[in-house]
Amino acid sequence: MGEIGSRIIQNYPYVFALALFIIGIYTILTNSNLFKKVIGINIMEGSIYVFFIAAGNIRGGVAPILDMGEPGLVYVNPLPQALMLTGIVVSVSVTAFSLALIMKLYRFYGTVDAREIMRIRSEVRASAGGN
Amino acid sequence: MSNKIAIILLVCIGLVLLLAISELPLYGAPDNSAQNYVSERYIEGAVSDTGALNMVSAIVIDYRAYDTLIETTVLFTAVIAVFMVLKKAPDRKGEPK
Repeated sequence: MGEIGSRIIQNYPYVFALALFIIGIYTILTNSNLFKKVIGINIMEGSIYVFFIAAGNIRGGVAPILDMGEPGLVYVNPLPQALMLTGIVVSVSVTAFSLALIMKLYRFYGTVDAREIMRIRSEVRASAGGN
Repeated sequence: MSNKIAIILLVCIGLVLLLAISELPLYGAPDNSAQNYVSERYIEGAVSDTGALNMVSAIVIDYRAYDTLIETTVLFTAVIAVFMVLKKAPDRKGEPK
């Protein structure tokens, strides 16, 4: 147990990423407001960015911009940073599309509350079955 | 009630992931498995291959240029989808229920 704890403490940036991830899932699960669910998804994406950048980091390394004057520098891994740029674009696309869907839902149902939308839908279905 | 279920579920997930974190390679160690020959190749060859001092932009714009090119397609598709969703439907009378 002590060994596991010390390893977790040494890997503390991953714990920050984990905390953000849990906060994101909690936001998605417990809020019925659709906008807040989108915010939760964005928090989870942020946690993944933190995780990847931390995985590519080297203690004492510098940002991966070549310095011709100092040959002995240790550069951090540039690959996760480049990949996370791609990830940010995907995240922006997903956010934009989900916000558009929420706007459409608001026009249709007059609310952005997921539970309220489910209630209206079930009422509509019940009245359609009664006819 | 469902709040409590969510918290219990998330605590379980969190504990499992904490165990996974304890098994991960040490943070910031230069001999990490993430610091393998791929990143070495990028760091050493960026200037001679692409002429860019910034290695991240060398990767994004040169080594993975097709990735970046198709990424713009992703963005374009998202924009098109947003406009398709937000397009005003032809007027229908009455409340949509």
